[in-house]
Amino acid sequence: MLLVRHAIGSRLFYQTEHYEIKKNEDKWIISFPISYEKAMNIQKFKEELNLFAVEDTQKTWYYSSDAELLFDKDNEQLLVFADHKTVYPI
Amino acid sequence: MIKVVPSTSRYTVKNEWLESNLSFSFGEYFDEANVKFGPLRVFNDDTVQAGKGFGIHPHREMEIVSIVLKGKLRHEDSLGSNGILQFGNVQVMSAGTGLLHSEMNPSTEEESSFLQLWFIPNQKQLKPSYEDISYNIEAMHNVLLPIVSSSGIEGTATINSDATLYLSKLDSGKELSFQQKPGRKMYVFVIEGELALNHEFLVGQRDSARLSDLEELKIRSTKDTFFLLMDLGGE
Repeated sequence: MLLVRHAIGSRLFYQTEHYEIKKNEDKWIISFPISYEKAMNIQKFKEELNLFAVEDTQKTWYYSSDAELLFDKDNEQLLVFADHKTVYPI
Repeated sequence: MIKVVPSTSRYTVKNEWLESNLSFSFGEYFDEANVKFGPLRVFNDDTVQAGKGFGIHPHREMEIVSIVLKGKLRHEDSLGSNGILQFGNVQVMSAGTGLLHSEMNPSTEEESSFLQLWFIPNQKQLKPSYEDISYNIEAMHNVLLPIVSSSGIEGTATINSDATLYLSKLDSGKELSFQQKPGRKMYVFVIEGELALNHEFLVGQRDSARLSDLEELKIRSTKDTFFLLMDLGGE
């Protein structure tokens, strides 16, 4: 499961089981399907987003320090280019 | 300008283990018109029940100050810092590029009450760090005792944000004054008691005041009062 949360108090913006994480040089590209409206709401908080990939025993926390997000209109998906990754147990 | 914000206007989050009174947008509470004041981004007045607390979670790009008012608070983080804070301690955690931490009430009987304040850092992607200090409780009697500063004031914990925090316990009828530089802001929070600011604005228990464009603030107590004053950058 992927959770997109606000870094200031952890408000949940989006939650999905359908996501992909690809490593590309020094970044992780996290992509997931989302409507335009919801993606635009997330964009408003792009400087303060935390993404969590939640598994049975661990969470992986990602964020983009330079707020790098892209909405792919053709495929209706949001791409987050994260440059920080931390894994911790739950 | 002095704007008094009554305690009753704060947003309250309450569950079986936590009561959190939020002065600024935080978590489920979001008001675009109430996001920050100068570099002050979060002011949460928290009470945590015995044995409960905030499990391991991340922070980034914030300077986080915790001031324990009652009971104890156990801190542990991914930097290897740990300790139990109580009244007379203040903690500054510089989250910078990111860290994980937990905050728990270690008591089996007593609730823990503390203020948690988040400040926007002077610069991004700082190396995370942690500091806690003890201050002399007696030394804040009828004076403004600095406890956190960005300018290296002796005896204070260091913050990477344009803010200096003072605590004071003012006897009933006593008056202090604070000289402010142009363009800066002040924030007053009454922990216990009541203050009259500039002989005009009453600030009661758990009320706050947001002040800007003032050269001098006169702080008079109408009863024995414990309060926090912050000198903040103007942006």
